[in-house]
Amino acid sequence: MTGGELTRSRWEGSTLPAAPDLARLVGRLALVGVAYYLGARLGLNLSLVEQNVTPLWPPTGIAVAVFLVMGRAMWPGVALAALAVNLPISDGALAAAVTAAGNTVAPLVAVTLLQRAGFRRQLDRSRDALALVFVGALPSMAISATVGTAVLLETDLIGRGEAAATWAVWWTGDAMGVLVVAPFLLCLPLFSEERSWRPQRWAQGVGLLLLATATIAWTARSEVPVLFLVLPILAFAAWRLQLRGAAPAALITSLVASWSASRAIGPFSHGGLFEQMFTLQAFNACVALTSFVLSAVVSERNRAAEALAVAAAELEDRVLLRTDELTTANTRLLQEIRDRSEAEEQLSLEEARTRREHQIAETLQRGLLPDRLPQIPGVMLAARYVPATADIQVGGDWYDVIQLPDGLIGLAIGDVAGHGLQAAATMGQVRMALRAYALQDPAPVAVMSSVHQLVSQLPTAEMVTLLYLLFDPGTRHLRFTNAGHPPALVFDTARGEYLGGGLSPPLGVTAEPDFTEVAHQMWPGASLLLYTDGLVERRGVSIQDGLDRLVVASVADASQDVDELCDGLLLQLPGNQPVTDDIALVAMRPLPLVPGPLSLTLSGEARMLVQMRVAVRRWLRENDVSPADENEILIACGEASSNVVRHAYGATPGPMHLTAELVDDTVVIDVRDDGAWRPPADLGGGWGLQLIEGLMDSVDVERSADGTLVRMRRRVRMGATE
Amino acid sequence: MSDLVSIESIGIEDGQLVRAIGEIDLSNVAEVLSAVISAVPHDAALVVLDLSDVTYLDSAGISMLFKLAERLGYSRQPLRLVVPPDSPIRAVLELTNLTSVIPVVESIRS
Repeated sequence: MTGGELTRSRWEGSTLPAAPDLARLVGRLALVGVAYYLGARLGLNLSLVEQNVTPLWPPTGIAVAVFLVMGRAMWPGVALAALAVNLPISDGALAAAVTAAGNTVAPLVAVTLLQRAGFRRQLDRSRDALALVFVGALPSMAISATVGTAVLLETDLIGRGEAAATWAVWWTGDAMGVLVVAPFLLCLPLFSEERSWRPQRWAQGVGLLLLATATIAWTARSEVPVLFLVLPILAFAAWRLQLRGAAPAALITSLVASWSASRAIGPFSHGGLFEQMFTLQAFNACVALTSFVLSAVVSERNRAAEALAVAAAELEDRVLLRTDELTTANTRLLQEIRDRSEAEEQLSLEEARTRREHQIAETLQRGLLPDRLPQIPGVMLAARYVPATADIQVGGDWYDVIQLPDGLIGLAIGDVAGHGLQAAATMGQVRMALRAYALQDPAPVAVMSSVHQLVSQLPTAEMVTLLYLLFDPGTRHLRFTNAGHPPALVFDTARGEYLGGGLSPPLGVTAEPDFTEVAHQMWPGASLLLYTDGLVERRGVSIQDGLDRLVVASVADASQDVDELCDGLLLQLPGNQPVTDDIALVAMRPLPLVPGPLSLTLSGEARMLVQMRVAVRRWLRENDVSPADENEILIACGEASSNVVRHAYGATPGPMHLTAELVDDTVVIDVRDDGAWRPPADLGGGWGLQLIEGLMDSVDVERSADGTLVRMRRRVRMGATE
Repeated sequence: MSDLVSIESIGIEDGQLVRAIGEIDLSNVAEVLSAVISAVPHDAALVVLDLSDVTYLDSAGISMLFKLAERLGYSRQPLRLVVPPDSPIRAVLELTNLTSVIPVVESIRS
């Protein structure tokens, strides 16, 4: 086929074939011609009638096979060979030429019809086998038989009576040539084109060929008519090896049978020509059909099975592949689950450790710093704690605000050298101890001495700075002592003043420090700020610089409430620098009370007079009444109260009421009793009322059935001018 | 003695110096009077009562001072009071006209 296509394409071109191609063509034509000629000589040896009518004419099979495989372009080789075969046996060149033409045209027509029918030369479909029989062999070979018989008739080589028999022999001979030889020739290319045989198959093929040959060699000469014995062998070859196994055996079988028939031996030794012919052709037909038809059917089935196997294999492959993919995915999934659970385990371990550390730190922190500052009337408090930028949120800085009896407030701020759990633990101890000491005796030196004792006895030697202040919100009086801590700052919107003095070395440094106490009177409107060195120390800047900046910042923010003040200071002082040291900060602002009236009820006894004075003095100070006014108002109140004590009640003291009120710049004080007023003569020399009148701007006495009221008024000056 | 006031007594060249510290009011005048009298020896030619550290003195205290002066007068022992000019009790002394009866000096030296 390939050669045919090649040749055709050359002829279609406008140029002549190139020399090597031409040489190849001529070589092929010669080869075809030689094959055809040899086939013809073989066929003539098998002739039953004369020399040119044979029961098996191999050249037609050769021609069909050559045209199918190599292309119809091979016809010149066939034609010349046919001419060469026919010339010696024909009556004249013309007869030979006509016969040769018929011999050439018949296979051409056969191949043309076969190709029209979609014939596959692999002969592996049953329709190809049927096409070879009913298209390629039987109808087409009628042409050569008709032409040949006509030529024999014309040249009088046969008589008219013999014409029908001659035609039949010629026709069957050519058809058999196609059916027996063509499959054999067509099977030859398959050895290279199709899957090559393994040695075992070769052994099987050769074995079957030998067996078929031996069988036919025996049956073709035996008198017993058992020619059919070879058929199962051919069938077996077709079943096992298909065309490549069956066609050679079929060819040999047919050749042997035909040779036997031409010699009239064995099964063909009796009977007439027609009977011999019929037997031979029937046998050859059976051989051919058994071999290539069965081969085609088996091939088809094999191919179907193969396709099925391929499909099954493909399916299996896909299943395997899919399974593989699934397994891989599964493995990956398992790995992922394992990884994840490991990660989760790791995470939960990590989490647990972090949580535990956090809990420890938090517990310490709670021990270290007040949960919240106490709510003290008249005093605003705020505190901040900023740990150094570190993992553990506790350090050595601390503060505390302690509410003490008598309305006093203890303020403490300190720093233990170092950071971390050790410093925090020490600080927690110191803080708790200080609270206890302050409640026992709030005096600064007493508290400081006790804390010093504690620190000295700690197993780990720590250096502790501590500033402790005792504040009286009623008088704004401060007492403090300072063990190596930065001084507290008192400030308002106009000025700031550090509370110097009262200094001793840090606790735990010297064996017997000499603690001293310093008193300070906070001026009205002033605020107090306690802090640790982290607030004022900056790298590369002197501490004095930090202290100066703190004064400036505090004074600037003094009008804000204490919480805003603390936040503002933390924002301004460390600035953008990372916090390298802990910062603790406490701000306290004693508030001037809203000038409200004072109302007291005391027992009308002499010993209560001092309580009365304390309350009134505090109220006057809260209202910012000047000390000079304070003194004289106190005396007037004392006189009025003394009158109640001495005269209002008999043996059993009754209540003494006092109210004080500031109306604009005038203090109005009422002293009232529920008893009976006695004559002024009974008052100590009359000096009581005289003093009241002398000290106050006005005094009114109202007597009634249910008691006496003394109302006193005095204009006062505001402001502390001590 | 109440914790409102304390009395100290020192012998001086020509008499006795008694110093009162604290507040004197109706509740403690009797105690203060007896304390001062007992602190003064019989032979003291002069009694100086230093009120420089008294922060509060009421009319009962004034009465007490008059009584003290009267008692000491029986034994011919003159009484002098020391009251600084800026003392919170100055106004009371002046208002009661005590200064015209009992000599008041501004300091111990005088």
